[in-house]
Amino acid sequence: MKEQNSIPRSRIGRSGKFIGTGIRIGGNYLKHYSKKLINPDLDREELNKDNAEDIYRSLSELKGSALKVAQMLSMDRNLLPKAYTDRFSMAQYSAPPLSGPLIVKTFTRHFGAPPSALYDEFDLHSSNAASIGQVHRARLNGRELAVKVQYPGVAESISSDLKMVKPFALKLMDVSERELQVYMQEVEEKLLEETDYELELERSQYFTAQCRLPDVVFPGYYPELSCKKVLTMDWLEGVHLKEFLESGPSAEARNRIGQALWDFYNFQLHELRAVHADPHPGNFLILPGNRLGILDFGCIKEIPEDFYTPFFSFVCANPVSDKNETIARFRQMQMILPGDSDSQVAFYYRHYREMIDLFALPYRSGAFDFARNDYFNALYGYGEKVTKMKEFKQARGVKHFIYMNRTLFGLYNILNELGARVRTDTYLPRVANDATPVTAL
Amino acid sequence: MEKKATQERIKEAYLDHVLTQNAKPVSVYAFMKKLRLSEKVFYTHFTSFDDLEATLWDELFRETRSAVTGSAEFASFNAREKTLSLFYGFTESMKPSRSFIQYSIRQSPAFPGEPRVLRKVRRSFQEFCEQVIAQGLESGELSRRKHLDHRYKDALWLQFVFIIRFWTNDTSADFEKTDEAIEKGVQLTFDLMGHSPLDNLVEYGKFLFRNARFVYERAK
Repeated sequence: MKEQNSIPRSRIGRSGKFIGTGIRIGGNYLKHYSKKLINPDLDREELNKDNAEDIYRSLSELKGSALKVAQMLSMDRNLLPKAYTDRFSMAQYSAPPLSGPLIVKTFTRHFGAPPSALYDEFDLHSSNAASIGQVHRARLNGRELAVKVQYPGVAESISSDLKMVKPFALKLMDVSERELQVYMQEVEEKLLEETDYELELERSQYFTAQCRLPDVVFPGYYPELSCKKVLTMDWLEGVHLKEFLESGPSAEARNRIGQALWDFYNFQLHELRAVHADPHPGNFLILPGNRLGILDFGCIKEIPEDFYTPFFSFVCANPVSDKNETIARFRQMQMILPGDSDSQVAFYYRHYREMIDLFALPYRSGAFDFARNDYFNALYGYGEKVTKMKEFKQARGVKHFIYMNRTLFGLYNILNELGARVRTDTYLPRVANDATPVTAL
Repeated sequence: MEKKATQERIKEAYLDHVLTQNAKPVSVYAFMKKLRLSEKVFYTHFTSFDDLEATLWDELFRETRSAVTGSAEFASFNAREKTLSLFYGFTESMKPSRSFIQYSIRQSPAFPGEPRVLRKVRRSFQEFCEQVIAQGLESGELSRRKHLDHRYKDALWLQFVFIIRFWTNDTSADFEKTDEAIEKGVQLTFDLMGHSPLDNLVEYGKFLFRNARFVYERAK
């Protein structure tokens, strides 16, 4: 990896970066249209690719939360053209490393001793970058360890970073300001949680203890070697999804990984009601023997009852189908708002219903082949169609949708990339639809 | 032994005085009277209150320097990392005496140049820098520049004074902002002292100057 020699330091410096991007995007459009005059068949795909590259270059020169937002945008594949997201998935692999002495200082401050005294071996040069920190390899009592160290000042920079990303995201995601506000607030809250490694440690231990699933592996955690800024865990030896797929695995291997992933997510959703909401390919490792290693419990979305029940009542064993019942649930989740006229209610009912049926298909099928590109094309096609409608520019849906969509679409995407066929009835939603109908309340 | 103990007593009493009164004692005479010692004894150790403060600073620095250079990692560091660990080490050492540091920096005239109380630290700091810079020049980490490379230590010193001032006013949790200032500032200084576009710019300028006639030939 190329080390960056400088990071834009001040807010002004960073804002300058974004303005630079804006200008370049303008330039790309110009290029596109002048090319188009000569060659009218020119694909928009090429334009998107040029733009994504410029945006990516700007974002990758930033650290911390801006980088994180880039990752988040990349998860919303249904909102963004493919060209953008391919570049953004690379975002997490680039951040300038912290110097050795700062690592030593961080340890000395929190543990009263330098890493050389705490571990048998500690590599002061980081082996890779996480979004808000970097990972070092270490060894203690014959065990290989991964030690995550956070960048200083990350928590403080989050709010100001998000403010800067805002106009940029507004343009990129093509949503209304109010909708973005809801989004940003929820994102800020989650990002701040991620900067607390003590919380992450606690959650990691909880999930590790709860999720006893075949083929799912968690690293062991070391509380005595962890603090707010440092997290020590076992080093999992494995490959990332991309390398795994490049090695040409058998259908059986892909299905097995896919099943583990499906079970892991649905167990959390329906049994724990709290979910690892960062299904970024960088957070998973494929271990020898085709087992799935799970890293990074920094981002956990807890799903409250008043969201879980209406949301999953459409995908459970006995789904809601009655029109009035459905509308009542849409109202509960603020997908249909109190001020809507009858024609608006009818409009949103039709579209959301269609969206949900599309989305719930894997759940309703018992077993589902995620390699089906026709399904994904229909899903993305629908997403694209909807984002272009002026009716969907308005803020709709409670804030829980943000991380819920991110999680589920992330999961679907990874399963699609894997081309896995999985049983989808292993951990089913637990909603008692035969209980009192909402309309009767 | 007796002499050493007296010196310690004077230092402690002085620290206590400035920290509780937020001002220097009115005179050496008054100060020593409280200690039930004669003014003469003071001058066998220090020439003035300023000199005493400069000594306190220097002791703090020297202690840090030997702790830093004595650590297990130090030998394996390059010049940049050695410098960084000295900076980080010093901000850690300043922590227990933050009140004194703030008092001393704030009451010392800021201009011209660095606070007077740092003059002894400057000598010790530059001893350290000379070794580190020599290592950097040797390994090629820093580039040799005529008339300039013997000023590298001055650049680092300016940075060091800047960091002390920054830390004095830093209110962030755990003085994290100072860590960032060190990380970014020292990296930048070393980037500039290493082979950089600056060298090429100077080279190009020199070339153009020497060959100006080719540039202006047509105009004539």
